[in-house]
Amino acid sequence: MIHPIIKAMSDNPVRLVVSPPPHWRSGRTIQGMMRAHLLALVPAAIMAVAIYGVQAAAVIGMAGTAAVAAEVVCLRLQHRDVNVDNFSAFYAGVLFAFLLPATAPWWLAAIGGVVTIALGRTVFGGFGCNPVCAPLVAWAVCRFSWPDAMDIDLNLAHFMANSPVDQLKYFGVQSLSQFEYMDLLTGHQIGGLGSSQVLALAAGGVYLIASRWTRLFIPVSFLAGVAGAAALFWFIDPTAYADPIFHLLAGSTVFGAFFLATDTASSPVGRLPQTVFGLLAGTMVIVIRVYGVYPDGVPFAIMVASLLSPLLDRLRPKFFGVR
Amino acid sequence: MPSVIKEFTKGLWDELPPFRVVLGLCPTLAVTSTAENGLGMGAAVLFVLTLSNAIISALRKIIPGKVRIACFIVIAASLVVAVELLMQAYTYSLYQRLGIFVPLIVVNCIILGRAEAFASRNGVIPSIADGLGMGLGFTMSLTFLGALRETLGNGTVFGIPVPWEAFRPAHLMVMAPGAFICLGLILAGMNAFNRHMSRRKGEIPTEPKNAACASCAACNLCATARKEN
Repeated sequence: MIHPIIKAMSDNPVRLVVSPPPHWRSGRTIQGMMRAHLLALVPAAIMAVAIYGVQAAAVIGMAGTAAVAAEVVCLRLQHRDVNVDNFSAFYAGVLFAFLLPATAPWWLAAIGGVVTIALGRTVFGGFGCNPVCAPLVAWAVCRFSWPDAMDIDLNLAHFMANSPVDQLKYFGVQSLSQFEYMDLLTGHQIGGLGSSQVLALAAGGVYLIASRWTRLFIPVSFLAGVAGAAALFWFIDPTAYADPIFHLLAGSTVFGAFFLATDTASSPVGRLPQTVFGLLAGTMVIVIRVYGVYPDGVPFAIMVASLLSPLLDRLRPKFFGVR
Repeated sequence: MPSVIKEFTKGLWDELPPFRVVLGLCPTLAVTSTAENGLGMGAAVLFVLTLSNAIISALRKIIPGKVRIACFIVIAASLVVAVELLMQAYTYSLYQRLGIFVPLIVVNCIILGRAEAFASRNGVIPSIADGLGMGLGFTMSLTFLGALRETLGNGTVFGIPVPWEAFRPAHLMVMAPGAFICLGLILAGMNAFNRHMSRRKGEIPTEPKNAACASCAACNLCATARKEN
């Protein structure tokens, strides 16, 4: 008898066996996990509102609301229980909003929120089944569809700062002397409205790791991959390539490390696979920033690495006695 | 005569390529970035399909069974060369836009599929009806898909702007992913419509209950399918 593969939230009429007590209940729920993740995003959201004004809050709210509404419609259409109160759709929508420029029009945030849920998650089977981080799917769709509305430099030109990754791409390493590392750290750089608040995001990420919702392997190896690959290029020619600290602080590197790469459904399980996944994604960031056409390579790097995660899941210890 | 009409109409809905019979996806996905391209590609396939069906069914008695595929391809290739020369003469800009996909009609699955499944077993008149129906269905499908993608991705239909000033076309829809998304939406819509119609007629829907079984054809190997039967 071949047992069918039970996927999360599939319609398989499989009866789960309940064993007799005593039970050990961990108390961990999806609701609690998502609440902790949202709490970790709060400092970055506050920083975004402080720097870009209320319009940043409007974009976050629009994307989150659209994502929740899309989730309700999708679950209704599939005749499933409407469980949007577990915040997972809202969290995905907020993650998408963090990648937008603060001046994004309302329809862009709304369409992105809907695409996050409909195209990023529902078509693959709902929460927990997405092969690629759902907010990044929406980011890519919007980036290709409306490049002028998504362009960071173009939309935020009235701010008295520059986007560090765009400066590096278009003006070379000599133009980077205008950036103080302390300014980059405290979010005084132009970028996605939440994804450029480096210090606030790092604080949120450390909270997630300390409260054990996220394991250490992906964020650390992601940052190590970015730093290592950047250091390699920097040692080859310091006049042509930016130094590793710049790459760690510029763009959405920290956001990607703590919040996008650690997406539970699209990242591998296990220590070694997670470490390799993080190193691959981090290295890809630098490869895209050096050779690619996109200034901030983080979204595409994580999407490419996510596609490898079923393969990386095979990196596991052999059974005892098996050759 | 009724059978000829039946052969003609089956290509328009019941076995509509490429949405019901999912064949010939290469040109479907590649050239339908505008409605005009879709119409031109469909017309080229209509011409080749009708004539190749007619010639193959006329020659079906003398084509040896062992080398029939090679013979079908020779016939289709001659017709495709004719289409190519005609397009170069009369619609040169369309020919340039379609590019490599005009010569690729030779190995289009619909042409070979109709030749193998229908024209090599039936008379000339039913084969022509079959080719005309399938070709017309293919042309309509490609024009519809092209018009949909052009509307969403470029804000125009056959080059005429849609009457909505504030509409911001999503450029993704005229790129490769847009073809897959639109094709998937159309397939889903047609399945939902057919299921709705069969439910209204009081028929039992033929799809398996289990969602995982819908996309899998390995029923004879599968424990779940055995249990359901």
